[in-house]
Amino acid sequence: MKRLSVVVAGTGQIRDVEIQPGTTAGDILNQLGLKDYLLSKGPNDPFFAAAESVFDKVNDGEKIFASTKAEVGERLLCA
Amino acid sequence: MRLKDLGTRPAPAAIRNLLSRIVRGHGPSVSVQRRQIPYWQERGWQQRGNTYTGAYQTRHGAFTGEIRQHHGNDIEFFLYQPSQEIQSHSHWACFQHRGNDWYLVHMGRRPNDVSSGILAIERLITEAFED
Repeated sequence: MKRLSVVVAGTGQIRDVEIQPGTTAGDILNQLGLKDYLLSKGPNDPFFAAAESVFDKVNDGEKIFASTKAEVGERLLCA
Repeated sequence: MRLKDLGTRPAPAAIRNLLSRIVRGHGPSVSVQRRQIPYWQERGWQQRGNTYTGAYQTRHGAFTGEIRQHHGNDIEFFLYQPSQEIQSHSHWACFQHRGNDWYLVHMGRRPNDVSSGILAIERLITEAFED
């Protein structure tokens, strides 16, 4: 079991959760009712995929971020 | 004689501290409240009306930015003097020059809030340096 603090980026609200091995990013977002959000450890790390297990990638007591989906440009238009 | 009295001297501060704590006991613990503030504020951005000024912060450096929130998720993100690494990134075409070294960052998928946009741009800058 690990404890996590999920910071909802837009509001700064902090949601504390306990996760078990195998818990995915999607599980956490669903549980917290954060539709259309993505989880990440911060700006220097990629987003967790919805089906990705978070447990092995975080430390007990760590703070992670939930932010709304945002992407710079669209490959077809910009890249 | 097996023992010679050399006189007295004060104990080291660490030991005095330890002993005084044993005598006094621990005081009541103080619960420290967490600050619940939006990400933009945590990262030191300043808000003036609908405009935010600050820096996109990454492990590769901080980059001056400005954000204008017109209404709802109609938010414009600007970056000042993007570095050579950013200019070489595959998304460079998404940066529109707006004069005086300021660039508007075109968001293909608009964030719902300022903080999520800052995170997205910080992530893009990190990618530019690491790709």
